[in-house]
Amino acid sequence: MKSKLLAFLGSALLSGTAVAGGYQVNLASQRQIGMGHTGTGIQTGTSSIFFNPGALSHIRENGVTIGASAISSHIAYRGTEPSGFSAEADNDFGTPFQVYAAYTVDELLTVGLGVYTPFGSGVRWGNEWNGRYALNEIDLQAIFFQPTVSYKIGDKLGLGLGFVVATGGVNLQRVLPVQGQDGTEGAIELDGGAKTGFGVNIGAFYQATEKFSIGIDYRSKIELEVEGGDVMFSNIPAAARGNFPEGAEFSASLPLPATLSLGIGYKVNEQLTLAADVSHVGWSEYESLRFNFSKPVAGSGVSESARNYDDAFIFRLGAEYQLNDKLALRGGAYYDQTPVQDGYLTPETPDADSRGLSAGIGYALSEKFSVDASFLYINKKKRTDSAEFSRSVAGTYKATAYIPGLALNYKF
Amino acid sequence: MKKFFYKSSVLALTAGILLTSCDPEIDAPDPSSGEADFTSYLAVGNSLSAGFADGGLYRESQLSSLPAILADQFEEVGGGEFVQPLFSEAQANGSGYLKLVGFTPQGTPITETVTTNLAIRGLTSKNTPLYTKFTNNINNLAIPGIRVADIKTAGYGSTQGNPYFERLTDNPGLTYLQYVQAQAQAANHTFFSLWIAENDVLAYATSGGAFSGGMLNSDAQRITPVNTFTANYTELVDALTAGGKEGVLATVPDVTAVPFFTTVGGSVKQLLAANKIPAVVALTESGNSRIVITPSQINVEGGVYFPLTASAYAPLLGTPTGRYWRLLARQVSSSPDPVTVNATLTAILANYQIDTTQMFGLSQGNPLPSALVLDAAEQVNIKNATTAFNDIIKAQATAKGLALWDAYGYFNSIKNGFVRNSVTYSPSYITGNLFSLDGIHLTPRGSAIAANEIIKAINSKYNSTVPQVDETQYRAVLLP
Repeated sequence: MKSKLLAFLGSALLSGTAVAGGYQVNLASQRQIGMGHTGTGIQTGTSSIFFNPGALSHIRENGVTIGASAISSHIAYRGTEPSGFSAEADNDFGTPFQVYAAYTVDELLTVGLGVYTPFGSGVRWGNEWNGRYALNEIDLQAIFFQPTVSYKIGDKLGLGLGFVVATGGVNLQRVLPVQGQDGTEGAIELDGGAKTGFGVNIGAFYQATEKFSIGIDYRSKIELEVEGGDVMFSNIPAAARGNFPEGAEFSASLPLPATLSLGIGYKVNEQLTLAADVSHVGWSEYESLRFNFSKPVAGSGVSESARNYDDAFIFRLGAEYQLNDKLALRGGAYYDQTPVQDGYLTPETPDADSRGLSAGIGYALSEKFSVDASFLYINKKKRTDSAEFSRSVAGTYKATAYIPGLALNYKF
Repeated sequence: MKKFFYKSSVLALTAGILLTSCDPEIDAPDPSSGEADFTSYLAVGNSLSAGFADGGLYRESQLSSLPAILADQFEEVGGGEFVQPLFSEAQANGSGYLKLVGFTPQGTPITETVTTNLAIRGLTSKNTPLYTKFTNNINNLAIPGIRVADIKTAGYGSTQGNPYFERLTDNPGLTYLQYVQAQAQAANHTFFSLWIAENDVLAYATSGGAFSGGMLNSDAQRITPVNTFTANYTELVDALTAGGKEGVLATVPDVTAVPFFTTVGGSVKQLLAANKIPAVVALTESGNSRIVITPSQINVEGGVYFPLTASAYAPLLGTPTGRYWRLLARQVSSSPDPVTVNATLTAILANYQIDTTQMFGLSQGNPLPSALVLDAAEQVNIKNATTAFNDIIKAQATAKGLALWDAYGYFNSIKNGFVRNSVTYSPSYITGNLFSLDGIHLTPRGSAIAANEIIKAINSKYNSTVPQVDETQYRAVLLP
C-alpha cells in the first residue's frame, strides 16, 4: 500500500496548465472544485487545511481525503493577423493531487497534514512552430507539504496555522537560432530540482450565526529556487560550441506568490449552502525570469526576460445542495483575472482572464466512506498580444481546459 | 414563467459555452486581395530579387528569393504560378557561393567558395563564366548586378554583357527593358514588384569610389547620373503599369549600413590600438590625393568604413607590400602576359604615386588603396545619389498610384536591431541573422522579414489582407 501511494505521488508531480492565472493551479479539493473552488468562508472538511486552517478545528470527525484531477487542456495560437501560420500546444494530462488527513485531538484542538500541488505548468508546443526559440515545452512542478494545527476559541472562532514545506522542479526546452550545414537547429534544455522552500498558511474562521460564517486565509509567498540545474545542449554546430559550453549549470528563482482570501458562507436551509470567495494573488513579485549560468551561454552569463506581472483578483461563487442523506449536488463559477500585462505575454503562460464553470456530486458510500466527483471547465478569453516587452512570441492565444476529478474520503 | 426563462437561459448559456469550444480555435479572417489582383505576378529587380546570396546565385537561394516568398503568400489571395529561372538540381550550386567553414582564433569568419555542381557552360573572352541557359517565359525577371542605368543598353544580354541576363535570352541584341516588356506581355501580369536601384550606387560604394574616374575608370562602378536614372526608371515603371497594372515599388536602402561595410572597422580599430598607431593614410576616390584617418573616425557615420574586401589587407598594415596593386594590375591588364602585367603595374604605381617599399597604410608613399576605404567624401556622394533616386521612386509611386515599400526607412529603423519570435536580428555580420555571407544580400530569413514589410505596404495600399509569412521557416546563416 505504501509503495503504491508513493508511485502515485511520483506520477502525479506533473501539474497542469491553463488552470488558473499565471502558473497557479487552483485544484485543491474535489468537493470545493464542484463549488467553484470556494472554501475560505465555510467549513470544508479535511481540505480546510488548504482553504482555511482556522476552520479545521470545526470538523467533528477524524478523516483522510485522497483526490486527483485529470487535466485536458489545449492552447491554440495564430500569428498576428493577417497571417497564415498557427500552432497548437499539445498538453499532457497533468494530474494535480491532494491528500489531507485531520485528527481531532480534543474538543478544541485539531491537527492535520496536507499535501497538494498549488503551482505548476506543463505546455508542449513542439519544435516546429514559429515560437520555438522562446519555448518548445515547459514543465514546472511544485508540491507543498503542510502540517497544520487548528484551535477553537469559544464556539464560534477558529484559528489555524499551517507550516508549508515546498519542493519542486523545472524543465524548460527551447530551440536555439543556430543552424548547421544541413539546416538542423540547436536546442537547449534546462532541468533542475528546487531547493526546499518554506512558508505559512494562516487562517481564521468565524461562525457568526447558525447560518452565516466568514473566513480569512493567507498563504505566504514561497521562492522556488533552483541551484546547480543542468544546462544541456544538442545539435550545436561545431563552430558555435564555444558559445554553448558543455557542463554549464544554471540557477534560477521563481516566486510562488502569496494569496490572501476572504470568504463567506450562508446556509439557506438544511439542504442548501452558498459560498463566495475573493482572493488577491501577489503576482507582482514576478518581475523577470532570470537564469544565471555558471559558464557564459551565447556570450552571456545571464538570460533574463521581463515578466512584470500585476497582482490579480479571483472571484468565486459556489453552492451545495444536499438532496438526501447520501447525495449532494454542487455547482459553481469563478472569474480569474490574468496577472500578465499587455505586451508581456509568453508561450509558457499564454494567460488571459479566465472563466470557470464547475459541477460536482458527493456520495456517501457508507457511514465512513464517501466519494466526491467534480468537473471543471475553464475558458480563457482570446488574447492578442504584441509580446514586445517580454521579447517573446506575438500573436493570438486561446486556451480551454476540461478537468474531471475524483476524491475518496474516509472518516473515523 | 419568469423563472422558466431564467432557468432555460442559464441552461442555454451553460450548454453554449460548453459546446462552442470543445478545443480552442482561433478563426482567421479570410485573406482577401482587396483592390489588387495577384493572378499573375511579375518581379523586376536586381540581385535582391533574384535570390542572390552568399556572393552567388544558386538553386536554394533562388527558391527562397524575396519574390518567391511573396508569390507563396499571394497564392492565398488568388495568385497563380510563379516561374523562376532555377538552376537544375544537377547544377544546383549555380554560380558557386560562399560557405562558412570556420572561424580564426580571433573570431574572424573563414569562408570558402563552393565549386562543385556549378551551372557554368563556358567562359567569355575575358575568362568570366557563362551560365546554363534558361530561356522559357518566367515571372522572376530579376538580374543580379543590373542597374537602372543598364536597362536600355543594347548587348546587355550578350556574352559581353551581364551573364545572368545572357542566360535568360537567345537574343543578344535585346535590352533589358525590351525583355521586361516581352515577358510582361507573355505573363499578362496583373501585379508587379520593382526593387532595382541599389546597384546604381552600390558598385561605387563597394569599390570605395576608386574606379569612378581617372586612370582606372569603369562606368559600371560610377554612380548613375540622376537624369539617366529618372528617364530609365520612369520608362520602366511606365512599361510595367501600362494598362493600369498594380504593383509595389521599393526604395534603395542605405548601402553603407550593411555588414559589408560595418564588420572590418572594429578589428582595424583594435589593431591600431594594440600597436599604438595614431592614424592611417589612404587614397580617396579615383585620384591620387591622400587622406589621414584617425581611429575615432572608424565605423562612424560620416567617418570611415572598411569593406569586407579590406579584411585580407588589414594584417599587412605597416609592412612594405604592393600585394593589392599586383593583384589589381593582373585584373585590369589587357593580357595575362607577365611583361604586360608588369608594365600595367608600373603605370598604376606611377599614376597613384605609390612606393611599395614604404609602410603599407602608414606612409604617404604607400597609402591604403581607395577601394579598401569608404571615406566621408564618398559617403556624401552615395547619400546624395540615394536620396535623389529615392525621391524619384517615391514620386513614381504617387504618380502611378502604386504601393511603396520604403526600404531605406526600414533598414535605417533596424540599425540597432530588433527581436521577433525571441530571435535577435541586426545588421551585424553572421550573428545578425539578416545578411548572408557576402555582407550585402539577405539570408532567406532576411528575405522573409523583408517580404513581410512589403506585404504590409501592399495591404495598406490595396486594402488587401495578404497573410504574413512565418519567417522562422527560412534559414539564416548556416554554421559549420
